[in-house]
Amino acid sequence: MTGQRRGAGLLGIAAMMVLWEGVGRAFEGAFLIAGPSDILVYLGANLGLMVRALGETLGNAALGFVAGNLAAIALAVLAQLWPPSRSSVSGLALIVFCLPLVATGPILRILYGPGPGPQITLAALAVYYTTLVPLLVGLRAAPASWFDLVRSYGRGPLTELVHVRAWATLPYLFAGLQIAAPAAFLGAMVGEFTGAERGMGVLTIRAIRALDVDATWTIATIAALVSILAYSGLGAIARRVLLEKPAVILSAPVSTGRRRGPWHAAARLALLLGLTIGLWWAALELADLPSFFAKRPDDVWRAFVTAPDASATRATMASALAGTALFVVPGYLAGLALGAALAILFLLVPAAAAVGMPVAVALRSVPIVTTAPLLVLALGRGATGTITLVAVMVFFPTFVACLHGLRQAPGQILDVFDTYAAGRLARLVHVHVPAMLPAFFAAARMAVPASILAVTVVEWLATGRGVGALMALSASLSDYDMLWGAVVVVSGLSILGYAAISAVERRILSVYAAEQLGA
Amino acid sequence: MAADPDRTDPPSVVCDDLSKRFAEGTDVLRGVDLTLAAGRTTAFVGPSGCGKSTLLRLIAGLETPSGGRVEIGGAPPSETLKRAGLAMAFQDPSLLPWRTVRGNIELALKLARKPADRTAIDDLIALVGLGGFDEVRPAALSGGMRQRAAIARAMVTRPGLLLLDEPFGAVDELTRRQLAEDLPRLWEARATTTILVTHSVQEAVMLSDRVIVFSSRPARIVGDVAIDLDRPRPASRVSDPDFVALATQVSEALARGMAGPQDRLAAQ
Repeated sequence: MTGQRRGAGLLGIAAMMVLWEGVGRAFEGAFLIAGPSDILVYLGANLGLMVRALGETLGNAALGFVAGNLAAIALAVLAQLWPPSRSSVSGLALIVFCLPLVATGPILRILYGPGPGPQITLAALAVYYTTLVPLLVGLRAAPASWFDLVRSYGRGPLTELVHVRAWATLPYLFAGLQIAAPAAFLGAMVGEFTGAERGMGVLTIRAIRALDVDATWTIATIAALVSILAYSGLGAIARRVLLEKPAVILSAPVSTGRRRGPWHAAARLALLLGLTIGLWWAALELADLPSFFAKRPDDVWRAFVTAPDASATRATMASALAGTALFVVPGYLAGLALGAALAILFLLVPAAAAVGMPVAVALRSVPIVTTAPLLVLALGRGATGTITLVAVMVFFPTFVACLHGLRQAPGQILDVFDTYAAGRLARLVHVHVPAMLPAFFAAARMAVPASILAVTVVEWLATGRGVGALMALSASLSDYDMLWGAVVVVSGLSILGYAAISAVERRILSVYAAEQLGA
Repeated sequence: MAADPDRTDPPSVVCDDLSKRFAEGTDVLRGVDLTLAAGRTTAFVGPSGCGKSTLLRLIAGLETPSGGRVEIGGAPPSETLKRAGLAMAFQDPSLLPWRTVRGNIELALKLARKPADRTAIDDLIALVGLGGFDEVRPAALSGGMRQRAAIARAMVTRPGLLLLDEPFGAVDELTRRQLAEDLPRLWEARATTTILVTHSVQEAVMLSDRVIVFSSRPARIVGDVAIDLDRPRPASRVSDPDFVALATQVSEALARGMAGPQDRLAAQ
């Protein structure tokens, strides 16, 4: 059976390569698609260059991967051992996750100067949240009776951590690491966009500017393969190490703060805001960085609120944001709708799921910087290309999450439906779709920052419009007030979007999955 | 018998006007007064959900009482917990899935800060009928086997106070009979104070020196039956007239405690 499946998989890959080559040949000269043979020819001619660039990016990504994951583990342990820190750790993590890499990249370049600093830092920032979220869930995922056991011998939280939580969280840690590996590669590549001397990111920028289709497709293929290999490799290690499959954690559990009343939530928000501003200010002051390029919170406030040209600055930002919203909102909604719809279709046609699921899981791990140039080549620099890219970015995680959610339908409840000979549609409407909702909303929350990352990357790399382009332009014109302001505004909007989805999610889950709110 | 440096002396257990109300307002226990003698085995019997397990958790110090107090050997449960003087086998076996049967039993010794004694572990594994399964992980065991491993884990630290929450719930009938013969012998030899929660009247009479019967929630004591049968008590004793008489006393107390909504439902 396994051999048959492997054979079918190889046949599928071979068929895909033939199709890809055929399409490449059909569109030869249209500056759209390079087929596998074009890629092999390009690789043969530029092997040394590619290997050096890949080595550079992989090295930076690996350092960032280690640093980001160690930070995530340390913070998750802190949040577990000192519960009052939990909401601040989660909140700060979300803020860091929502930072637009497109703007933080140039800022880090200015702060670090030449060298691999920005690449490694961006790789670390890209993996930090994807590991922290599963860890925060995993550290609390063990049954209460395991902790009773430890407590019945008079032992405390540290023993719980060593003997129960650390082990129980391993499937969650591996789930996070699997997602983190391609994310680190993405972070390192974006870091290289900001003026690095070597690496796959540098080659990507050059290929796009020169409209070198073969180079663009070769880089994209290599980056995609590396991401898929990293994802699958960690999956293989997890299967060897773990007794169970890595957990599927889609995002942090929805906050339960509402139950303590609006004042508690407002106080938490104020604390988080104060902490963020304090850390921002303290970090720049301690590093003694000149305020010409290292803008403090009061600099941004002045530029956007009290300066004589503040209204013009705000108008520029608002116009860029409006341009971005035109692309990001339809792309986001389309990605969500398509992801959920295809997952439902796959549930109704299980044979399609057997083929489609591994492909979707693999493609989910391909970084956006890899697919962006290809989609822009194929669909142009207009609205269609940008919206499609955002939709693709949202589609894969939503699809995988929804398919997972649909499969969470409790078997015993389905048995009840079977005893009444209920049809497939009744099972879908009454059991599967409600079971899918928590996963759908978790994906929708995480997709907010992801879609903003997608749209800003494509605006920066290709379209030259919207807030992504404004950030790139501000960096090149040394307009650091605007650049830092863009980081604040875009992160803030990202967090607001995330919070809005959380509010809807809480309302819906209170009806369909109340136990998720009691966590 | 030579003194055993590893074991803890059996304590008496006192519950004084003990009450428990959960945060959502459910009254589980109301004014329970109880004194359990050191080194004896007591069974708690009562309808489902009456609060027997909660009482056990209060004695173990895993829950805080809403009123009244618990004393183990004259001190609050927290003192006993600090010196690993008690052990509990939970309703759910709660074996750590990444540890083997032996690893789970060894963990209890580690948690109790006691040295691992391979022979003692082997003996316990054999006693609960898991010989040959010591290096097997819980996922590969049946529900009954997991429960037996959990019993062995609770006993390995030689606690002065042993708390068993429905320990034979998933154990098959034959093994249950065997354990019902073997375990009391061990508790007696070690002079352990044992408290057992069970739904089975027969099991309560077979295993214990005293049976406390609780009413429906909020639990209060509706029966206190001394079991003065000789030990050992082989399975064949269940048909002896004195056994039957004691079991009948317990059953009648149980029926008194359950009178109420059940009767109204039966009348309908």
